[in-house]
Amino acid sequence: MIRERLGKELLYFDGGMGTLLQAKGLKPGELPETWNLTHPDDIVDIHRQYYEAGSDIVLTNTFGANALKFQGTDYALKDVVEAAVHHARKASESGVTDKREVYIGLDVGPTGKLLKPMGDLDFEEAYEAFAEVMRYGEEAGVDFIHIETMSDTYEVKAAVLAAKEQTSLPVFATMIFDEKGKLLTGGDVPAVVALLEGLRVDALGINCGMGPEQMLPILKEILTYTSIPVIVKPNAGLPKQKDGEVWYDVDPAQFAGFMEEIAKEGACVIGGCCGTTPEHIKAMTAQIQRNQLRPPVKKDLTVVSSYGKAVVLGEKPIIIGERINPTGKKKFKQALKEHDLDYILREGIIQQDNGAHILDVNVGLPDIDESAMMCEVVQELQSIINLPLQIDTVDPKAMEAAMRIYNGKPMINSVNGKQESMDAVFPLIQRYGGTVVGLTIDENGIPATAKGRVEIAGKIIREAEKYGIDKKDIVIDVLAMTISSEPEGAKITLDALKQVRKQYGVRTVLGVSNISFGLPYRPAVNSNFYTLAMYNGLSAGIINPSSEDMMRSYYSYCALMNYDQNCEAYIRQYGNRQVDVTVKSQTEITLREAVEKGLKEEARNAARECLKGQSPLEIINTQMIPALDAVGKDFEKGTLFLPQLLMSADAAKIAFTVLKEALSELGETEEKKEKIILATVKGDIHDIGKNIVKVLLENYGFDVIDLGKDVAPEVIVEVAVREQVQLVGLSALMTTTVVSMEETILQLRKSCPECKVMVGGAVLNQEYADMIGADYYGKDAMQSVYYAQQLFGE
Amino acid sequence: MDTRTKEAIRYLGYGRHAVDDETLRLIRSSFQELDQAADFRIIYRIFDLNRKENESLEIGTMKVTSKSLNRNLKGCEQIVLLGGTLGTGTDLLLRRYTLTDMAKVVVLQACAAAMLEEELDIWQEARKEEWKEEGWYLRPRFSPGYGDFSICHQSEILRMLDASKSIGLTLTDAGMLTPTKSVTALIGRSRTDAACHRQGCEACEKADCQYRR
Repeated sequence: MIRERLGKELLYFDGGMGTLLQAKGLKPGELPETWNLTHPDDIVDIHRQYYEAGSDIVLTNTFGANALKFQGTDYALKDVVEAAVHHARKASESGVTDKREVYIGLDVGPTGKLLKPMGDLDFEEAYEAFAEVMRYGEEAGVDFIHIETMSDTYEVKAAVLAAKEQTSLPVFATMIFDEKGKLLTGGDVPAVVALLEGLRVDALGINCGMGPEQMLPILKEILTYTSIPVIVKPNAGLPKQKDGEVWYDVDPAQFAGFMEEIAKEGACVIGGCCGTTPEHIKAMTAQIQRNQLRPPVKKDLTVVSSYGKAVVLGEKPIIIGERINPTGKKKFKQALKEHDLDYILREGIIQQDNGAHILDVNVGLPDIDESAMMCEVVQELQSIINLPLQIDTVDPKAMEAAMRIYNGKPMINSVNGKQESMDAVFPLIQRYGGTVVGLTIDENGIPATAKGRVEIAGKIIREAEKYGIDKKDIVIDVLAMTISSEPEGAKITLDALKQVRKQYGVRTVLGVSNISFGLPYRPAVNSNFYTLAMYNGLSAGIINPSSEDMMRSYYSYCALMNYDQNCEAYIRQYGNRQVDVTVKSQTEITLREAVEKGLKEEARNAARECLKGQSPLEIINTQMIPALDAVGKDFEKGTLFLPQLLMSADAAKIAFTVLKEALSELGETEEKKEKIILATVKGDIHDIGKNIVKVLLENYGFDVIDLGKDVAPEVIVEVAVREQVQLVGLSALMTTTVVSMEETILQLRKSCPECKVMVGGAVLNQEYADMIGADYYGKDAMQSVYYAQQLFGE
Repeated sequence: MDTRTKEAIRYLGYGRHAVDDETLRLIRSSFQELDQAADFRIIYRIFDLNRKENESLEIGTMKVTSKSLNRNLKGCEQIVLLGGTLGTGTDLLLRRYTLTDMAKVVVLQACAAAMLEEELDIWQEARKEEWKEEGWYLRPRFSPGYGDFSICHQSEILRMLDASKSIGLTLTDAGMLTPTKSVTALIGRSRTDAACHRQGCEACEKADCQYRR
C-alpha cells in the first residue's frame, strides 16, 4: 500500500506525458486523453518507459478527462478512463522487471473553467465533474487519486472533497505556483497548505509551471508550514519557444542534480512534469537513493485562510471583526429580513478598511433560513474581500453548509465542552478542515474559576484528538463575564487566558466587549480590558474595528510590545491625525453644489446643515432634485461625463441617506416608490452597466430590485410576477447573450404582458432592441431614468 | 500625460473634451491600485497559416472564415496566437468598489482596459524587435469579435494555447473570457514589411463611435 510507504522512503513519480504525446503527433488543442482509445500502443509505450526508468508511480493519461472538457465529443468518459488504467497496468507487466511494488495514480487535472464568483462554474458542478471520473478510476482499480496542476484553491477543494467522499482511495494534491510563490488565482503557500491539510490529503505539493531550480524556494516555504509528505514534480526548466515549438532546457543530468537537492530539502515524492522524459526520470532514480528521505516534521502553526490569503495566529494579536452579527442591531436585522446583502457586505468592507484580519459572520435570526443565508453571505463576502472568515453559528446544518462552500480553511465559532456540541462539530472539522473556537462551558455551565475553565479547555482538546484534530486547530475562548455582576470576572478571565496558553500552548480568542455589559461609557472599560487580555495571552480579540478606542489599544499594544516594527503601523494610523481635522472644517459649500460636484463628505455635511433650517422633503425638492437634473442635462449635452455623473450620484446617495434618517425620525414615511427590476441576463457576467443604471434610478426615487448578473429568465419572471413589477431593465454585453435577453422578454410577455422592458448594453442598438421585442432601448444610463419617469408619469 | 492615462480618458467617453480634475484624480488612484492588484500574464504560440478556398484560413487545427481577418493577414505565412489577462485580482477590485463607489468602478474599468492594451503593446513591441532580426514582420493584433471574425473561436483558441493552465484564462459557457480583463488575439507574421498603420480603433468601420480615437 502506498500510504504505508509515504513519508518513510523516497518514492519516484513518472515524468511528462503531454510532451511525449506531442512528439508522437498530438496536435495543440487536441484532447490527449482520446489517445487512450485511438492510440493505445503509444500510451502503453510511454508508461512502460517510465517503469523501466525506475518510476514507482505512473499517472494515467487522464489529466483532462472530465465531463466539462469532453462536452460535445463522441467519447464516453468511462471508456477513456478504463482504457487509461488498463494501459498503465499493462505497461507495468512488461516495464517492471525487478520485484518493486508499483502504483497507478488516477491523474486529475483542472476542469479548465473558472469557478464562481470569478467564473461561471458552480462549486457542486465542479465537484460532480471530478467525482464522475474518480468513481470510474476506482472501479478500474487505480491505487490513489492524484489531483494536480491546480491553480485555484476553490477548485482543488471541490476535487479533494470529491475524492474523499466518492472513493476510499488515498488522495494526493499538487498545485501550480509561480516564481513569487503565488497561484494564478492569487493564493499563497500557507493558504494552500492550510486548506489541503485541513481537507486531510495524504500528500501535497507543487508541480508544473517552472523548473526544479525555481521550485526550491517554494518547496522551502511549503516545508515551513506543512506536517505531511510533500510532492515535487517540476518541468524540465521554464518553457521556451522557438519557431512555434515549446521546449525545455534542463537536461537529464542537470535535472537529477536539482532533484537531489529537492530531496535533501525534504520532498518525499519526486518526479517530473512538462518536458521531462524517461531519460530525466532514469537519471533521477539512478542518482538519488530511496533512503535519502528526510521525513516530514510536525508543525504547530495555527492557520486560517481564504482563497488568497492565510492568517497565522501567532504571538502578534489578530483582530476578528465582530460587526456582521444581528445581535442588538436593528438595522442589521432589518437588512437580513429584507435580504439586503449590500448592507451586510458593506459592513465587511468597512471592517477590512479599519484593520480587521478575520471577519466573524453570524446571520442567525429566528425567522430566516440560516443555512441558505449563511452560504449566500459567505460566498458574496468571499467575492469581494480576501480576508478569512469565522463561521459563527449554533446551527450545525448552517455550519456544515457554509464550511462546504467556503473557499479556504475557515475559522469556526464554535464548539464547547458539552458532549453534544463536540459530537456535532468535530466531525465537520475532520471533514472540511477548520480552526475551531472552543468555549470553556459545558453541561454544568461556565465555571466560576480559572481552573475550571482551563479544565474544560483540556477536555475539548482531548476529545478533538479522537478525530485526529490537532490542538493547533483549537483556539480556546475562556469567556469574559461582565464585571457589573461578576466583580472578579475580569481577573478570572485574564488568569484563565494565561493558564490556557501556558498549560496547553494553544491560541486563544475572546469576545472582549462582554466585560462592560451594564456599565456606562463602555469603550473605556473595553479598550483597557483588551490591552490587559492581549498582555495575558489573547491571540485574537473579537472586536469592533471601527471603534476608535479599541483600535487605539490595539495599535498602541503592538507598538509597545515590538510587534510593530519601527512603529510603522502606529505612525501610519496616527501620524497625520491633526492635518485631517483642519482640512474638514475649512469646507463650506451648499448641498446642491456638493452633489453637482460629486463631493461625498461635503454632501453629507451640507445635508446635515440644511436639516437645521428645512424639512427633509423641502431639501429634496429645492436642492437634491435640481442638482441631479442639472447634472443629468450636462451629461446629455456631452459637457459632463460618466465618471462625473456617477460621482454626483454617489454624493447624492449619501445625502439621501442623511435625509431619509431625518424623515424616519420625524415619523414621516417616504412616498411609495415604483419598483423596477434590473438584471444582467443569463450567461452574462459583466454587470457594470447594470450597476450604473441602478445607482441613478435609486437616486431618482425608484425602488430597484437588483437581481444581479447571469440571471435566468425564469427568475426574472418569477420576481416580476410576485412583486407586480411594471418595468424590467435588462443588460447584455455580447451578441452571445442577447439570445438570453430575447428569451427573457418572451417569457415576460407570456407571464406578465403589462410589464415593460427596457434594454441596454454594449452590443445593443435600437434596431437590435426592436428585433428582440424590447419596449425601449436606452443608449446610456440617463435614458433609463427618463424612460422610467415617463412611464410612471412623473 | 502618459499613454495609458490618455487611453483611459478616451474609454471614459471624453472624446475631444478635457478631463476634469476629479476624474483625473480617480484615474491616477485607479492605476495605483491596479498596479498592485493586476497580475498581467501572457501566453503565445506560433502556427503556420494555410489559406483554403473561399477566404477560409487554417491555423493549426482551427478553421476560420472571415474577410476582415483575411485582409489583416494579407501576405502572412504564420500566426502568433496569444492570450493575455490581468488576472482575478482586478475583478475582485472592481466588485469591491461596486458596493461603495460606482464612479471608481467605471474609472477602474477604463484604466484596466488601458493597462491591458498597454501591456500587450509592450510585449508586442519587444517581439517585433526580437523577430525582426530573424526576418519576420508583425501585423497589428486582431481579436475574435473584430469585424466578421466570430467570437465563437474563443474556446478553440484557449485550447490551442492551453490558456487555463498556463495563465488562468478561461471561458464561460456563454463565451465570455474570465477573468474579465482578458484578451485573445492573432498577430500575422510576414516575411515582408507591409505599410500597415491602421490599427485597432482606426481599422473599425463604425466611424461614428463616441470612443473613436
